[in-house]
Amino acid sequence: MYLKTGVADKELVSNALPTEERRGSGPYAIIECFQEIPCNPCTEICPFGSILPMDDINDLPRMDYDSCTGCGLCAAICPGLAIFIVDESYSDTVASVSIPYEFVPLPQKGDIVEMMDRAGEYVTDGKVLRVVPNKKYQNTPVVTVEVPKDKVNEVRFLQPKQKTEIAMPKADPDDTENLPDTTIICRCENITVGEVRKMIDQGYDDFDELKRLIRTGMGPCQGRTCRHLIMQEISRRTGKKFDEIELGAFRPPTKPIQLEQLIGGKEDV
Amino acid sequence: MREVDIAIVGGGPAGLMAADAAASNGASVLLLERDGHLGGQLVKQTHKFFGSEKQYASIRGVKIATILEEKLKEMSDLVEIWTNATALGLYEDGVLTVEKGKKFVKVKPKRIVVATGASEKFLTFVNNDLPGIYGAGAVQTLMNVNGVRPGQRVLMVGAGNIGLIVSYQLLQAGVKVAAIIDAAPTIGGYLVHASKIRRAGVPIITSHTVTRAYGKEAVEGATIVALDEKWQPLPGTEQELDVDVICISVGLSPLAELLWQAGCEMRYVPQLGGHVPVRDSLLKTTVDEIYIAGDLTGIEEASSAMVEGRLAGLAAASSLGFKSDSLEADILDCKEQLKSLRSGPVGDHINQGMALVMSDK
Repeated sequence: MYLKTGVADKELVSNALPTEERRGSGPYAIIECFQEIPCNPCTEICPFGSILPMDDINDLPRMDYDSCTGCGLCAAICPGLAIFIVDESYSDTVASVSIPYEFVPLPQKGDIVEMMDRAGEYVTDGKVLRVVPNKKYQNTPVVTVEVPKDKVNEVRFLQPKQKTEIAMPKADPDDTENLPDTTIICRCENITVGEVRKMIDQGYDDFDELKRLIRTGMGPCQGRTCRHLIMQEISRRTGKKFDEIELGAFRPPTKPIQLEQLIGGKEDV
Repeated sequence: MREVDIAIVGGGPAGLMAADAAASNGASVLLLERDGHLGGQLVKQTHKFFGSEKQYASIRGVKIATILEEKLKEMSDLVEIWTNATALGLYEDGVLTVEKGKKFVKVKPKRIVVATGASEKFLTFVNNDLPGIYGAGAVQTLMNVNGVRPGQRVLMVGAGNIGLIVSYQLLQAGVKVAAIIDAAPTIGGYLVHASKIRRAGVPIITSHTVTRAYGKEAVEGATIVALDEKWQPLPGTEQELDVDVICISVGLSPLAELLWQAGCEMRYVPQLGGHVPVRDSLLKTTVDEIYIAGDLTGIEEASSAMVEGRLAGLAAASSLGFKSDSLEADILDCKEQLKSLRSGPVGDHINQGMALVMSDK
């Protein structure tokens, strides 16, 4: 599901956690980075070598929890904002989570904020313990919030009170049949799909022919926006493969210029 | 006619690195950038980059642009920078024509590195010409360059890295994101990006596309629909979203007009984003004087674009006899960095695509 929703599955997250014993013995970093991408700043920044060196830059980060002190440098530097610092050791009822937070206004120490889970759903309120601006680390502030202990590995985002709902209204059913002829396909020259289809049906099935006949691609964009769409339409209509369709000639100038500039052009600068 | 050892077209991550590498080896460089400032897409990237230290990992894109620009300014005796300069044509005799400000100028370089990047793909759907429908790049420019919010509530179409990152930046700017949809059955971008948007409450809905925008004068809503395994709409699954912005982020196409003009051999390689140039392992095209780097070679991350830029700059300089003592080692280093960036599962499609356009092995 992670690949469809962007919300990490429960097992992925629980596998990233250290042992119960380690969780109780002091702050630790939890790295929620579950896709192999070319990225390694976390391994370079850790002053304790707790994020183990990678053999390949695409490797997933691996932790040595015994040496991790929960200092938080990795949370500040991670380009994916995927590292959090959790401290479950200082109370029986509450724990703290430190979250990289790049929004304004920044919360202040003592503020009560709403804490959300990985899917953006409200879980609980939390109290801001500290805000570290991290000017040295590309200005990614890290906000530490106290939350009920059993929620500390559930919450991963915060926002000021007065949450605004983002609702998805249910719609009236609408036609999903073929794209109507009146839809614009070449924005510069205001040419519709219908005009293009009419020409294709008459046998004009490459980009240059259409350009000469109906001016598609002759505006300021010179086909940068519409060439692809027109070729797709030719492909759909004629059954030709995309790479079999003539793209048309590319000639200077790459953008429209005033004739005056050519006339007044000088050989030397 | 302006003469120079190496002209570099495009002042984004690839072009900046190419200029640095070529000049560090002693070649004179002319860097052309169509925008008023250097950096290309980097200047809009307010997030921290992935990769390793060598590719400036964990530094925000906008800052990387400044770092690279500063390096070039230290070599101003060899590097000339033209901003507001658009390459208009690249001819078979190697002449490059440029619109510089309001002037039309010809340049005759000994070598050219083309690093023009990519352009955004678009979608056809009903009322796709209503105001309020943007490409993701335009939304980024509005917000991160000009400080303007595009609207109040956004439907993001496309869950690749750009769609995910721009959604995150919209949230940071205080704009609501109603949903991120993607026609593919799974999220295309990095999952850590997806997770940080998801936990902020934005739904990511895969196997869905947009079929219609509503609105009189501007976007007032959008209809999305579920797709089956064959990517066909499933009638009865339509949902209406209350949004005033539809942001399109459905992929990029390599921007290769200059290479077509110059007669470089091109191939259609879907894994790399469209028609891309055939090249050798030093990023030389089938035209001897022309080298390539960045998204133009195939759509990838900025980290790879920077390494490719350096490689193309080194190779172009070397072909003219400009060689520092460390040149061979530097070239090897670039090749190893690229191999390592592409060695994981997310690099599979890149490697498949590269195999189809390499003129040497």
